[in-house]
Amino acid sequence: MNTRAVTETKANTSPSREEPALLPPVDVIEDATGITLYADLPGVPKDRLNVRVEGETLLIDADLVLALPQDMQASHAEVRHTHYRRAFTLSRELDPGQVSAELSQGVLRLRIPKAEHAQPRRIAVQVA
Amino acid sequence: MKLEQLRQGVGTLWDSMTEGWERLRHGAAGALTRYRPEQKSSLPTPDEVDDASYIPSASWAMLGGDVFEDDKRLVVRLEAPGMNKSDFDIQVRDGALVVSGEKRFERESTEGRWRVLQCAYGSFLRTVPLPVAVKGDQARASYRDGVLKVELPKLEPGKPIVTKISVG
Repeated sequence: MNTRAVTETKANTSPSREEPALLPPVDVIEDATGITLYADLPGVPKDRLNVRVEGETLLIDADLVLALPQDMQASHAEVRHTHYRRAFTLSRELDPGQVSAELSQGVLRLRIPKAEHAQPRRIAVQVA
Repeated sequence: MKLEQLRQGVGTLWDSMTEGWERLRHGAAGALTRYRPEQKSSLPTPDEVDDASYIPSASWAMLGGDVFEDDKRLVVRLEAPGMNKSDFDIQVRDGALVVSGEKRFERESTEGRWRVLQCAYGSFLRTVPLPVAVKGDQARASYRDGVLKVELPKLEPGKPIVTKISVG
């Protein structure tokens, strides 16, 4: 039985993006109440990060922006922008509606709690 | 950095020869950096981690580095996410920028099972060769979005030197 709450999956490449995307390294820790995912996304400012859940798939999409002192010409855009992309399949015990995300110094931290029904629960035992 | 990007970078370099900025890509070979675990490492042991490829003593990461140049200065850009800016040691030595630091493995709680552990932790050292002499004491560094940027004024301002080489 596969007990993993999150598994790697192949991201569908949208037609507008043809260039190969970088696969960011991740750390995933699973505990009783949910999973925490960390991803290294250096060079990604908050406004270029896109985290979304589509069905059972968690998608991380981000643009790396080269912050040069002077703006380069638009003709060099294909080298300036590099894209990060990684996708995961979430098990049904996770609650995608409760995802929280933080981005600090290029490290993304995602917290996905398990759904109510999957949370550990103490059952009070009545003594008859 | 992937090979496709290295090729793209080289192609654009020739295009931008007449531009003020030039981009010198210092290769994928230099970017792959070894991270050594700290002495009292809080990294999990292999039996706490379900990731079959996890080896705490041998973690590697692509510490992407680029060097940009114009008439007056060099700008070195080094990707090093998850650091505190005070944890960088930056030196100019023998025509190279030497950056070392330590990315600490810190987690809020140690409960739970690690399923995947791919990010690099520990101490690293990256040497970026500089194409011209610089005024090290006037260098300025900043750290934003996980990227360390070091600006180094050139000792002798001037256009980047280009040598034409013909094939015999």
